[in-house]
Amino acid sequence: MSTPTFPAFRFDGRHAEALPVVLRIENAYVVVETAEGIELERERLDRAVVSEPLDHAPRLLSLPSGATLEVPDADRGFRRELERAGGRLSLAVRLQGWWLAVVIALAALVALLAAAYFKGLPAAARWVAFALPPRLEARMGDQLLAVLDKHYVRPSRLDPVRRRRISERFSRAAAAVAPGVAYRLEFRTVGENGVNALALPGGIIILLDGLVEFAGDEDGVLGVLGHELGHVVHKHSAREILQSVGVGVLASLLWGDFSGMAASVPVALGVLRYSRDSEREADEFAVAFLRAQGLSARPLYEFFIKVRALESRLGVADIPDFLSTHPSTEERLERLRREIR
Amino acid sequence: MSITESQLREQYGNASDEELLFLARQGSSQYTDTAWALLREEMTRRGLPPTPEAQRSESSEEPRADAPVALPLARWGEVPDSGIPERCEKSSDEDLPALAESETSPLTRHVASARFTGRGGEYFRIWVVNLLVTLLTLGLYSAWAKVRKAKYFRQNTWLDGHVFGYHGNPVAILRGRLLALVLLAAYTWAFQFSNRAGLLTVTTLCAVGPWLFIRAQRFALANTSFRGLRFGFRARAGEAYGTVLPVLALWLLPEVTETLTSGKGWFSIPALVLGLAFPWMHHRLKAFQRRNAVYGGRQFTFTSATGHFYAVYIKGFGLVLVAGVVAGVVIAWFSAWMRESPTVRSWFLETLIYGTIAGLLVYVVAGPYYAARLQQIVWSRTRLGDIRFRTEIQALPLFRLVLKNVALTVLTCGLYWPWAAVALARYRVECVRVESDVPLSALAASLETHPGSAAGEGAADAFGIDIGL
Repeated sequence: MSTPTFPAFRFDGRHAEALPVVLRIENAYVVVETAEGIELERERLDRAVVSEPLDHAPRLLSLPSGATLEVPDADRGFRRELERAGGRLSLAVRLQGWWLAVVIALAALVALLAAAYFKGLPAAARWVAFALPPRLEARMGDQLLAVLDKHYVRPSRLDPVRRRRISERFSRAAAAVAPGVAYRLEFRTVGENGVNALALPGGIIILLDGLVEFAGDEDGVLGVLGHELGHVVHKHSAREILQSVGVGVLASLLWGDFSGMAASVPVALGVLRYSRDSEREADEFAVAFLRAQGLSARPLYEFFIKVRALESRLGVADIPDFLSTHPSTEERLERLRREIR
Repeated sequence: MSITESQLREQYGNASDEELLFLARQGSSQYTDTAWALLREEMTRRGLPPTPEAQRSESSEEPRADAPVALPLARWGEVPDSGIPERCEKSSDEDLPALAESETSPLTRHVASARFTGRGGEYFRIWVVNLLVTLLTLGLYSAWAKVRKAKYFRQNTWLDGHVFGYHGNPVAILRGRLLALVLLAAYTWAFQFSNRAGLLTVTTLCAVGPWLFIRAQRFALANTSFRGLRFGFRARAGEAYGTVLPVLALWLLPEVTETLTSGKGWFSIPALVLGLAFPWMHHRLKAFQRRNAVYGGRQFTFTSATGHFYAVYIKGFGLVLVAGVVAGVVIAWFSAWMRESPTVRSWFLETLIYGTIAGLLVYVVAGPYYAARLQQIVWSRTRLGDIRFRTEIQALPLFRLVLKNVALTVLTCGLYWPWAAVALARYRVECVRVESDVPLSALAASLETHPGSAAGEGAADAFGIDIGL
């Protein structure tokens, strides 16, 4: 049986002209001849760079001489001939040519992503957050505060005496429960007396006037501050920022090049989950914080009862859990009720 | 526009015997009657054998592989039809059979349209394997994955019966990415340390930025081939600094001034300057990219269109406003409960979510208009010698495609992504038209490109510089 031949185009690498040629593989050599039978190339197959086989693209062979061969291979005859001559395909190519392997690879990919997302990233972010120079973290916090001051919050209008009382109670409690933890309490107000408190990197705790007035009872305020101090102790802000960076890196690996925008959807949804875990940790810290003051978890519990009333009044209780940055109030109430007993 | 009869006669007269034979093998259907007659006349004058027309009939059997000296022309004329509806909509006068890739207008004006034969299902398999290995190697394989992806998209892009090739060296790309990572990390964190460290980083970035930019262009082009010839990028360093440095400085200015003045009122002025100069900056980079690209020893040319860029940006701004209004409504609904719920403490997170909503809406609503109009402008002003380009890309079909891509990608948790990428590539590629006076296959030239170190390749990726040709 004669050696099979394959029609191809040869480019010499110096001119754009395509020369129709005939190619055959002979004793592990690539032999290229013109239509008239004049031999143009004779090169060892293992010295040619052969492109991966694709369903609808020709194979490209780059020869050491600088010439390139474009071999159409719709019927895969050339592919079979290459394999017969001992050409090995890379593992990745063999894997993706086999649908079962692709399905297994997909399952492995999902498992790996889940492991990275639920275990790997939080652990890495935690490690980095605690290894971060305090100066750098403090500066991050200062910058965030500057942004908030510029765009969102205004100076507090709370009675200075009341402010000092809250500060002093809080600093006594903090010194007892978490000595050596650097924090800074900042009073601000937002919108029409927004009810909120937040912790920034570097130990900055922002308390909004609205929350103090809404809580009424100062023990409740102390409970919320204990919760925020929990965020500070666990470095939640820095960890969240680092985690969202990690999720962003993962997302751009998966859907990169498509669009930075499209890749940021999973980032936004992804970091929500971490926040809820952080809230649980901070709640636990708040309970310990109140206990150390000889208080039970009751003030915090009562505060959340009021929050629930506010939520149902505003009709916001129906927000699905996965979209929420805090565990649903019901869930929190349940946990706190258990702590009171 | 088209060349005259005497010019054509001169061209054929200057061609070598081989070239004439090659031209004749393309078949009479590739030429106007006049051009074909002139070609035959010249061949007869030289005593060359009259070449039978190449078979172009669609029904002709593919030549058997073992047939004696089977010329692959018939097989080559045929680019596999993708058979998928999302292709560029053609105007009726171009509605030619898939086999005939060229069209002749008055006197030998040839129009070739590009074809894309990639399939979502095939790319999906490459994507999954690439991702798995990338994760297993903690990202190191990403350079190899990038090369395999680039090869898939280039080798499925056809022009005039031949495909493009990609030859990037993964190790060089990996080095480039590590360098980019260091620079990006330095830029992100330096100001957190101190203003001095920040300014030092910005200065370094300005110093190496233009150099990285030309390296990125050079690497991308020098590793792309067509018909056995590499593309190239021929910018001098001095020219690159003159062009890229002002753009880079304007880009960094708002951030730097805001940081140094702690955001007290100064922010708005540099940001306003950046906004007003943005179309100018974009045009400047595009023009620089095109003017310095070379293929086959010839340099691409680009006619300036700053005014057109401004027109597109101003009109597109209306669409951005529409997207902004929609985003505002969504965000208002979202923030209604976020602001009021007492324990949400992460404003950082809120900003991220609002940014995502707004960004996605702008990408879907205004993105296609910008992309389509700017590509039309850029392609129609690009030339390579006598070769002209244009694109039939339109904002509305592109909008429909992007909407479908985003919707299906979100609904399938991202699994539709490979199909989306292929559909987008197909639409963009198949809209491109290449016009020339002689068939593309008749153009021959010399090569003199060398793939450079890839320091810039990954850097351009990480900084998100669009380097698509």
